[in-house]
Amino acid sequence: MLIEHFRNPRNAGMMRDPDGVGESEYAACMDLARFYLRVREGCVVEARFQSYGCGPTIAASSAATELAANRPLEELIALTERSVEDAVGGLPGERRHAALVVAEAMRAAARDALERAPRGPNHGDQHV
Amino acid sequence: MNRRVYLDHNASTPVHPEVVQAMLPYFEEHFGNPSSVHAFGREAREGVETAREQVASFLGVGKDEVIFTSGGTESDNFAIKGIAAARKRGHVITSQIEHHAVLRTCQSLEESGFDVTYLPVDGDGMVDPDDVRRALRADTILVSIMHANSEAGTIQPVADVGRITRERGIAFHVDGVQTFGKIAIDPGVFGIDLLSFSAHKIYGPKGVAGLYVRKGTKMVAVQHGGEHERRRRAGTENVPGIVGFGKAVEVRARDMAEEAGRLTGLRDRLWEGIEARVPDVRLNGHPTERLPGTCNMCFRGVESESIVLGLDLKGIGVSAGSACTSGNVEPSYVLVAMGIPVEWAMGAVRCSLGRGTSAADIDYVVDCVEPLVRKLRDLSPARA
Repeated sequence: MLIEHFRNPRNAGMMRDPDGVGESEYAACMDLARFYLRVREGCVVEARFQSYGCGPTIAASSAATELAANRPLEELIALTERSVEDAVGGLPGERRHAALVVAEAMRAAARDALERAPRGPNHGDQHV
Repeated sequence: MNRRVYLDHNASTPVHPEVVQAMLPYFEEHFGNPSSVHAFGREAREGVETAREQVASFLGVGKDEVIFTSGGTESDNFAIKGIAAARKRGHVITSQIEHHAVLRTCQSLEESGFDVTYLPVDGDGMVDPDDVRRALRADTILVSIMHANSEAGTIQPVADVGRITRERGIAFHVDGVQTFGKIAIDPGVFGIDLLSFSAHKIYGPKGVAGLYVRKGTKMVAVQHGGEHERRRRAGTENVPGIVGFGKAVEVRARDMAEEAGRLTGLRDRLWEGIEARVPDVRLNGHPTERLPGTCNMCFRGVESESIVLGLDLKGIGVSAGSACTSGNVEPSYVLVAMGIPVEWAMGAVRCSLGRGTSAADIDYVVDCVEPLVRKLRDLSPARA
């Protein structure tokens, strides 16, 4: 699954006018993951990513965008490294930092979306 | 994925079919211990001594100046520690881009009270012989400079260094693991006292290598426990490996010049193809004074291992200039010593070509690199 996500990354690239953006960097190896979220009624309807790093970091970023889809932001702000690792089908021991940087970036994006959200039922309609 | 292209010959090479054939009788038929006096032992001894003649003849040195070891790392350790142990104290000169077999050995000498000078290199990875001259001290006992670096492939001016050390009567060790059997090397002409070389870089087996020690060089054994190799390196000889090594050297003597020309052309075809199609890429190492088959490139904004993995998925084997281990990425110390900025060095990839590499292989690699690097760059966020 890791190789498949690396070979064909899902939801790669920037997003225009996202409802939430978050990133994280793993300084020891300069890996950087950034997520963009489109949110409707407190749920992620689309997640996109940009990542710099080794193959597992790119694959974990791709898997995390699928993991985030249709999830409430409240769940995503507590996203664990373990669930990212599971989503990518496991990571080699020395590459666990890929899950760490990806989970942290996704949590940051979810927090950003929650902070930005005007608490109204039609929030997000302008982006349709 | 059907096509497989191996471009990591500086790491290791496939054993040549002629070498395999030469080795086979020494597993089941001539299996004796070469130290034994009976016929079984004598047959094995003959295989070892024939190989020694093949190596000595290739280098233009005396047969008794060639010692077989278990690998390039052992040869480097033996050369440096053997000289140091004979002198007990003193000063050693080496360069910042040596293989770890030399660097770590020199560091261990420092812990034992020796002084070591690590010379810098220029932007092409070249040591300046004048730096060697300037670094010499009254108590300098050894200069150790590699013939060519495995990563950048830059060929060092060892003959110029050899002239300096010969004038001063200082032992000169050359790690020739990456050049032996690939380009001309003549210890007598180059003023080399000790030369490390290995079999598996030249289509021979792994686990066997050699050290040339010029007659009269004052050094002592560092491995004890037997009378092998004229009491200089204890341990039963790896007979099939040594026989294979001898054959590999014989094949190199025959094929080396033609192959060097062919690989230089393919190496340049690879670089020119990539440079024409991929923006923000640079070639590392000396533009001309470089190993025939070595092409080390930096792709800005992309991490080495992503390229290695992406090419692996296309059946292509290359090596990364930076390695991610336990969550830490260290850019190549060789490229850093050459002054290459970290953001470039993080995207270093080495392609090393060999006898099986074809023009079609190179074109396939170029075709794969361009979209892969573009994809990885598209994925990559701009840093704040």
